[in-house]
Amino acid sequence: MKNPIHASDLSRTFGDLVAVDGISLSVEKGEVFGFLGPNGAGKSTAVRMLTTLLKPTSGQAWVAGHNVENEAGAVRERIGVALQDAAIDPLMTGNELLRLQSVLHGIPKREARIRCGELLERVGLKIAGDRRVGTYSGGMRRRLDLALSLVHEPEVLFLDEPTTGLDPTSRLALWEEVRKLNQEIGTTVFLTTQYLEEADQLAQRIAIIDEGKIVREGSPSSLKAQVGAPTLRVDVWEKDFTAAKATMAQFGEERPARKGRIAIGLAAGTRGITVVLKALEDEAIEVQHVELDEPSLDDVFADATGRRLEGGEKTG
Amino acid sequence: MRTRNFIPQTLQLSHRSILGMIRQPQSWAPSLFFPVLLAAVYSSQFCKAVNLPEFPYSDISFLDFILPACVIQGVLFGSTNSATDLAGDIQNSFMDRLLSSPVSRPSILVARLASAFVYGLVQAVILITIFYIFGANLTGGVPSALALMFITSYLAMAVGSFLLAMALKTGSQEVVNSLFPLMFVFIFISSAFFPVELMDGWYGAIAKWNPLTWVIDWTRAITVEGFSWSNLVKAVGVVSLIATAGISMATRQLKKRIAALS
Amino acid sequence: MTTSQIMKGHSLRVSRAFVLRGLMRMRRLPSLMLPAIIMPIFFVVAFSGSFASVVQLEGYGTDKAVNWMAAWAVLQGAAFSGLGGGGMTATDLENGFFDRIRTAPINPYVLISGLVGYSICRAVIPTTAVLIISFAFLGAEMPGGTLGFFMVYLAAIGVATIMAFFILGIVFTFKSVKSLAIGQIFMFSSMFLSVGQAPLEAIEGWLYVIAKFNPISHIIRMCRQGFLGEVTWDQTQSGLIAILCLTAGAAIWARTCYRKVDI
Repeated sequence: MKNPIHASDLSRTFGDLVAVDGISLSVEKGEVFGFLGPNGAGKSTAVRMLTTLLKPTSGQAWVAGHNVENEAGAVRERIGVALQDAAIDPLMTGNELLRLQSVLHGIPKREARIRCGELLERVGLKIAGDRRVGTYSGGMRRRLDLALSLVHEPEVLFLDEPTTGLDPTSRLALWEEVRKLNQEIGTTVFLTTQYLEEADQLAQRIAIIDEGKIVREGSPSSLKAQVGAPTLRVDVWEKDFTAAKATMAQFGEERPARKGRIAIGLAAGTRGITVVLKALEDEAIEVQHVELDEPSLDDVFADATGRRLEGGEKTG
Repeated sequence: MRTRNFIPQTLQLSHRSILGMIRQPQSWAPSLFFPVLLAAVYSSQFCKAVNLPEFPYSDISFLDFILPACVIQGVLFGSTNSATDLAGDIQNSFMDRLLSSPVSRPSILVARLASAFVYGLVQAVILITIFYIFGANLTGGVPSALALMFITSYLAMAVGSFLLAMALKTGSQEVVNSLFPLMFVFIFISSAFFPVELMDGWYGAIAKWNPLTWVIDWTRAITVEGFSWSNLVKAVGVVSLIATAGISMATRQLKKRIAALS
Repeated sequence: MTTSQIMKGHSLRVSRAFVLRGLMRMRRLPSLMLPAIIMPIFFVVAFSGSFASVVQLEGYGTDKAVNWMAAWAVLQGAAFSGLGGGGMTATDLENGFFDRIRTAPINPYVLISGLVGYSICRAVIPTTAVLIISFAFLGAEMPGGTLGFFMVYLAAIGVATIMAFFILGIVFTFKSVKSLAIGQIFMFSSMFLSVGQAPLEAIEGWLYVIAKFNPISHIIRMCRQGFLGEVTWDQTQSGLIAILCLTAGAAIWARTCYRKVDI
């Protein structure tokens, strides 16, 4: 199995409840893969199976080249995991937890001391390292959790809703850290989230999961493109209205707009905006105002499931 | 208006308190299990102790000797429940809601005391039935059994009042629960499981002066020798003194808590 | 690409890390240990005091109740201490930290041995406390000498080990702190339904049969022998066999139950 993560018809039931229903996915090396879905969709259950914490009811999965059921030990050597609830012991200090994690992964003492210091610095906890974790804020706990998952420099990193409950500043800091890990070190990241923006910002590919099934999969832009072209809205003077309308009609179908405004579905996507503006300039049409609205991942989810991601009613 | 509503409010709050205790088997199961276990073990283990020269009673089984103490042990273990629930009400702010309503203040305390009494009574009935099935003998029959039930329930309420005072003072379930081992100490350093006449030195001296020893000895006289009004009055008198002290403390703590809110 | 190599023999480091973690937590939260120290001290004081005259009966082999009760109190403390590893694990299971431990590449036997090791270390504390109280304040005697003290500690470690494995099995099955109560009930029952407080010669009825065949009785005798006279191989042997058999059984139980928390 070449890809760091590969799942084939993976399922998990709890009695009559089907939490994960035959999901198949493949994550390439060095990719940030987003797993997006509402609460109860099956994201965490899927992650727990991939990280050897839960036995699949059926199907198979391989992580870092090893089967999650039969070769759990080998998988655990190569993955880092930060679960939905920051899994830490409040009576221990940050330093102590990192050292314990080092021991669990067999890192020699001297190397562990250096690495733990570096990690604490990297996640901004160097000063708080000798304080008990019970005194940490939510953001600090998440950062420590991330540091714990990186102690052994894993090939694959699993982040289960890493920014849930964090303030915006902490969230941005964590996103930055994930980007660095991926871009500078090349770590493959499997990220689950219920936040659209998080998936949009971080993931190169996204799978949308709902009621245990993957309903859409692809890059953020391709997913949005499936829903429809972005809407370009342009305001012009009344005298230029007819000419502007005719010019813009070459670049996409007309869409409803208020008086004095022209709206089209930009067939070429967001990249096409400069071409449209150039064409209007060539016709000596003065543009007063420009707006560009892309379809959101929420639109993608609504298109796939008939309801909004954040608990809206069925739309279709 | 508060005086008129006192009884219905007390009944309502008592009902809530009792229901709460019934619905938590992890609270009442140990207070039935341990007395039965100890009674079963001791009646077998120390059965020959009744033959010791200075043993105060002859021609009884060891189970008959420890019967009152085992019942008292059960109800004392259970006496923490009412106080733990009260502390829980304080921790989850239900007490604040009560105090900010026009509910009669005394009814809050009386309800808890009443529930401790009723709870103790139910436990006493269950335990006496179990021991009777296993061969315990109550000389004096029904009057002795009724006297035993009344004394033990009243004692549960009296000791419970101290725990209620602690609950009102600290508002912490953990603190109230941590007092549970004190029940062990209170019971064991007494004539509960062995006559104080057969205890030595400082230990025997403490046991002799433990008020629980007096209560147990007079109660035991009722169950072993037969019903006696004088023994009943003496036992109830000591329990009343304990109750008076405990209820005074609890009332003072309740007033402090009310004052803190206003 | 991982840069850390799993060292051959790092199992000992991992076990040691769990023992140290437990001891550190105990130091930072003394209330974790206080009941395991206070209760056995209370038992030796209360039972030596309340049942002072009972040693006049046949079979006790001493005229001082403390010589009889101290061993039982020590083993009660050891049994309480044995619950320690289970308590820490139950807390870890409830707060999710156990998942972090599971995602590390460690052998379950190594994990369990570390938790049991912690419980064993704990057991030394109440054992020592009870011995100090018994000898300093209650007039206990040890005609068995140094060997007698050795037997006390050996029995305490044995009981702590058995209880530690047992309670881990309970915790792995129920995955909650409340499940510790099941272990406590079992522990109390097995300790009381033995020759802990009275010799077989004094016991009658159903309890005689249970106490006679209760393996804990053999361990108590092994622990107590030094208080009553010389240490003999006969009494030591039966206690050791009981410890080994119960440990093996409880260990298998713990490992079997571990499969309920891990794949």
